[in-house]
Amino acid sequence: MTDVSPDSAVLPDQAPAPRRTPVAVVGRDRSVAGVIERYGLLLLLVGMVVFFALLPSSGEAFRSAANINSVLASQAVGLTVALALLFPMAAGSFDFSVGAVTATSSVMAAAAVSHFGLPLFVAILLAVASGVVAGAVLGLLVARYGINPFIATLGMATLLGGAIFAYTNGLQISKDIPETLTDLGSLSVFGIPRIVLAAALIAVAVWFVMRHTPLGRHLFAVGSNASAAHLVGLNVTRIKFLSFALSGLVSGVAGVLLLARQGAATSDNGMNMLFPALTAVFLSTIVIEVGRPSVLGTVIGVLFVAVSVSGLTLVGAPSWVSQVFNGAALLIAVGLAGISRRGADPARL
Amino acid sequence: MRSGPSTTAIRLTGINKTFDGIPVLRNVDCSIAPGSVHALLGGNGSGKSTLLKILAGVHPADQGGTITIYGRAYAAGSYGPAIARQSGLRFVHQDLGLVPDLTVSENFALESGYPRRAGMAISWRGLRRSTRQSLESAHVDVDPQTLVRDLRPSDRTLVAIARALRDSDEGSHVTLVLDEPTASLPQHEAGVLLEAIRRCQSRGQTIVYVSHRLSEVLEIADRISVLRDGVLVAERSTAGLDEAQIVALMTGQEAREPLARGMPEADARPVLTVSGLVAGPLRGVDLTVRRHEIVGVAGLLGSGRSTLLRTLFGNARMERGGLEVDGAPARLRSPRDAIRRGIALVPEDRGKDAAFADLPLWENVSATAIRSYWSGWRMARATERRDATRLIRTFGIRTATPNAPFTHLSGGNQQKAVLARWLRLDPRLLLLDEPTQGVDAMARADIHELIREHVARGNAALVVSSDFEELESLCHRVIVLRGGSRVAELTGPRLTEAAIAELTQITPKEPTHD
Ligand SMILES: Nc1ncnc2c1ncn2[C@@H]1O[C@H](COP(=O)(O)OP(=O)(O)OP(=O)(O)O)[C@@H](O)[C@H]1O
Ligand SMILES: [Mg+2]
Repeated sequence: MTDVSPDSAVLPDQAPAPRRTPVAVVGRDRSVAGVIERYGLLLLLVGMVVFFALLPSSGEAFRSAANINSVLASQAVGLTVALALLFPMAAGSFDFSVGAVTATSSVMAAAAVSHFGLPLFVAILLAVASGVVAGAVLGLLVARYGINPFIATLGMATLLGGAIFAYTNGLQISKDIPETLTDLGSLSVFGIPRIVLAAALIAVAVWFVMRHTPLGRHLFAVGSNASAAHLVGLNVTRIKFLSFALSGLVSGVAGVLLLARQGAATSDNGMNMLFPALTAVFLSTIVIEVGRPSVLGTVIGVLFVAVSVSGLTLVGAPSWVSQVFNGAALLIAVGLAGISRRGADPARL
Repeated sequence: MRSGPSTTAIRLTGINKTFDGIPVLRNVDCSIAPGSVHALLGGNGSGKSTLLKILAGVHPADQGGTITIYGRAYAAGSYGPAIARQSGLRFVHQDLGLVPDLTVSENFALESGYPRRAGMAISWRGLRRSTRQSLESAHVDVDPQTLVRDLRPSDRTLVAIARALRDSDEGSHVTLVLDEPTASLPQHEAGVLLEAIRRCQSRGQTIVYVSHRLSEVLEIADRISVLRDGVLVAERSTAGLDEAQIVALMTGQEAREPLARGMPEADARPVLTVSGLVAGPLRGVDLTVRRHEIVGVAGLLGSGRSTLLRTLFGNARMERGGLEVDGAPARLRSPRDAIRRGIALVPEDRGKDAAFADLPLWENVSATAIRSYWSGWRMARATERRDATRLIRTFGIRTATPNAPFTHLSGGNQQKAVLARWLRLDPRLLLLDEPTQGVDAMARADIHELIREHVARGNAALVVSSDFEELESLCHRVIVLRGGSRVAELTGPRLTEAAIAELTQITPKEPTHD
């Protein structure tokens, strides 16, 4: 976007005409280093896809429609959890509860239909509402009472994990899960898994909120400098609260997708969903809009990890490779994000 | 270290620097005589800080340049912070790099490490002793055990200098490099610092420094180098030079005539009426600001100047007192309330209270107007960016692109962007806390002009400044605060720099929280 024509602006013409020789206002940085910095991860993703698709030992399996769909479908829930994490991260807080909230929502939905015989529609509403409530409580704790988000969200995650275990007794809830829901997890339209379409829809919605609403801009302003945000008239408490409430909402939806995909709610506490989400969001800060988390970046981050792990598995890597890859990607992403931030301001002289 | 009969302490040859494909320094040749005070001058964004960072080894210069220090030449590629230090270069960063909550000696230890007794334990006594020695040899009269936050601002700068100069024995070739050391110091405090610079010089040390205060430069510097758009356009002695000539060198044009002081008569209608304001250090302040009026506030740090502005902006609690905006009583619970009533504040501490450092420049300029671009279903991004781009031009903000992260802007250009953010709202009452800190002489005149035009449209401004020359030339009226009370008001012919200086500093050393 380089719309720099100075004419026809709607500002009151209050400021005097420029007195200095106008400075050339050029588009964004197009130097080679800049392009590599911004698109490096995307190029790497494309490279990975090409590599595994051409490699004799994995190529045929990797290229198959079944594999592509399975990679995508298996990432739909993970992507949604990562999208939930985006809101608090944009506003400058960690949220370690997204995985646990997702797990809780999935148990909530399963219990509602299976144990209480509620209609699917009501069960989904309840599940999503449970996410919103968890997020709102966190929002109050962090925004209103100033509790460190690190601690508040870890506490919430632990609490929810315990509650899930207490309720399920360590057993899974699989009885009477309606087919309408499990179809969402297993069927395809026009060859694309429905659950992938659902996740894509959520991604578009989150992207819209982040990029095309004042709230999105406010989130980033608060995340960048809360004191300055307060001084330009933003209600920082409200914005932080909303970041957690929205995170809860999207986690709640992720829980429903999780149930649809698995066909059952397990007693798992959801912590294993947290780290891939963190990895994806951190990866998003080193691509496209370097230095800030973004929806597109998160999608690229999720795909990058998924494609790599799938490819490695097909060439016969052992199953622990996925965990190691996730961990390494997280560390590298955090490291690179740190370097690029420091690079912006090597020394304040 | 060699100590030949060099006639230059530092010589830079063919220094180029490009950021993201945009040249910032172009073939700069510069030499600095040993034992001189050398001022590096130039407009905002002309490359001064970048040149100093290259000298510090923080930024590498592009290939081809040479840095020669007392006869030893280094290729740009092989130069780094360690070489700079070995060669006797000592830097004081603009933010000083002191930790306010630590004592002076602990701040020394941050750079030189803690002395140890046999075994592991820190020798606090040893640390205090070495710190006291460094302070004494730099003639800084400060107790090593004071917390940095309790020091006067000029003492803080002096401590930072003493720390930079520690363990540099007298004989060696020491060069002290200072980036805008006086930018946020009130005049008399700046005087203390200039004194210290002279002392260093009398010990045979070389001083390179950046300043936008030209009168100060003429007072203290032997030679100047002037950068314009990254090109070194002049290097000469200050003998026979005056401010207008320097400005002409910086701009490449004849200096503009300073505008006459003729301003519209202050209207009778008050924009702001404050009575008996008690808040923080303020003990019952009365104040009226009328339409068309620019009122200045002078006082030492700790006199309550910034608290006054923050209270009027709803950002500090008002304990007692009455407040009327445009004749109607106002309760300002938050900056939001204040903005709704047409009040704007350009805060003193840009980094902490105004900068969205990692966000693009255009979003920084837009920060006060985000909601106005909500079209009902989405943000009018194209319009928003176009408006921001236009403001960037109007305010003469130097940047490669509106997308540049805010931190990539030079200090003065950041300040202009913050002003642009507020002036675009056309506020009834403009509160300005040190509005031209770090801004070059030309932009300063531009900013003053913007403020004048703004009040001429029927608005008002309240300006806090440590630069009394600025208060004299800009304001209709100046009130002087001391110890939280209003002690004087100056108008008409009594409103002079000297009178303000005298009235503010009658009390000697006092603690310096603001
Ligand atoms: N890390 C960076 N990345 C990109 N551009 C930069 C970076 N640092 C500085 N610049 C650009 O280099 C130019 C010179 O900046 P510099 O800070 O040296 O100016 P200055 O002369 O010190 O100005 P001021 O008087 O405002 O402090 C500016 O246009 C600035 O935007
Ligand atoms: Mg500078």
